[in-house]
Amino acid sequence: MQKSTIRLLPINFLLVFLLVSCGVNPIRKLEKVPVAKAAFDAPYFSDPKIDYVYKTHISVYGNDLSGIFVVKKINADWHRVVFTTEFGNKLLDFEISENDFKINSIVEELDRKILINTLKEDFRLLLNKKFAIQNQFATVSDAIYESADGKYYNYLFVSKSGQQLQKITHSTERKEKFSIHFQSENNIFAEHISIEHQNIKLKIELNYLKND
Amino acid sequence: MKIRSYILMLSLMFIGFTAFAQEQKMSDTEITAFKQSVNTVSKKIKSLSTDFVQFKHMDFLAKDIETSGKMFFKEPNLLQWQYKKPYNYSIVFKNGKILINDEGKKSAMDVGSSKIFAKLNKLIVGSVSGDMFDDKEFAITYFKTKDFNVTKLIPKDAALKKYIKQIELSFDKQDATVNQVRLMESAEDYTKIVFKNKILNAKIDDSAFTN
Repeated sequence: MQKSTIRLLPINFLLVFLLVSCGVNPIRKLEKVPVAKAAFDAPYFSDPKIDYVYKTHISVYGNDLSGIFVVKKINADWHRVVFTTEFGNKLLDFEISENDFKINSIVEELDRKILINTLKEDFRLLLNKKFAIQNQFATVSDAIYESADGKYYNYLFVSKSGQQLQKITHSTERKEKFSIHFQSENNIFAEHISIEHQNIKLKIELNYLKND
Repeated sequence: MKIRSYILMLSLMFIGFTAFAQEQKMSDTEITAFKQSVNTVSKKIKSLSTDFVQFKHMDFLAKDIETSGKMFFKEPNLLQWQYKKPYNYSIVFKNGKILINDEGKKSAMDVGSSKIFAKLNKLIVGSVSGDMFDDKEFAITYFKTKDFNVTKLIPKDAALKKYIKQIELSFDKQDATVNQVRLMESAEDYTKIVFKNKILNAKIDDSAFTN
């Protein structure tokens, strides 16, 4: 309910943990292979006819918050995203495209710049449909596409066997920032998604709501 | 001439149908009688258990989000909502605390730490028992349809009004208990909860309200 949002306040302290780190991006150490295609189209969240409805659990620094995330592709460039409590109270309602972001409504308790920026970054990557590929790496099981994203890099892990997008990792030159894991039965729709941050203790889990 | 009377007949039929479907304002005497019957019934409610179906309507979605489960209420303020489909989620309101069980993940918090939540809690309990006719808290209007008496409540509290523009309670004309609640966030978005298989005053143990 509305009240539970208040427990997200520790997110204010997230900034403290955004420490500069050293190291080498582990993916860059993998075997480099020739780039197979110029761009990769992400299959999920692309059908404007589907209401993507997910039961959601967010854990942030040991606090829990649950609710329902709804995502809908509203035109060629924009998605609308709404987060409600189980009772249906709307906590957050925003629209997002590759370059723009617009908040329709937000409850006071969630109205924190650091939280909004984190969600904006997470959902922009989650909903992005086209990734230009500059480099390609390989493991035994996956093809890994490297796609530049401003000063960051996105790594798309696509299974060699089923050609399924299984993971996207958002990294700096040196270190992973957060990653999105997908579980999909048909490669069109992801039944389970988890967004895990490495530098802050934040995990968002989305489970598709079967609304028969 | 023939065509004209045909059109006239059609429009009369149309007006007739709309009048039938629409709600009418209650007269002052009807309001007094209605409030009295609800108060009499709600005073007699010691406990209530019911199935419910919840429809979350948002205008940009193709379909309402439908969830369902069971609800238990016991005087004076024990309340449990158990969502069973399509997920297991249970929330208990008990002694100023809120206990949540989300698919086995348990958490608790105080109601008192958020005024707005305390108000929402009162509102939910009030919706269920029908004890909502507080003119200090709401601007209330009264309507009737064929099967229901409908009250529309507009919150006076600015903080609450930010989240809920209007609450509509539909009371069964037969037994004067709440049959349907509609919480409107805006003109386009609302949550509708329909109660089914209500059982009044069956014995419910306090220990049932745990999570």
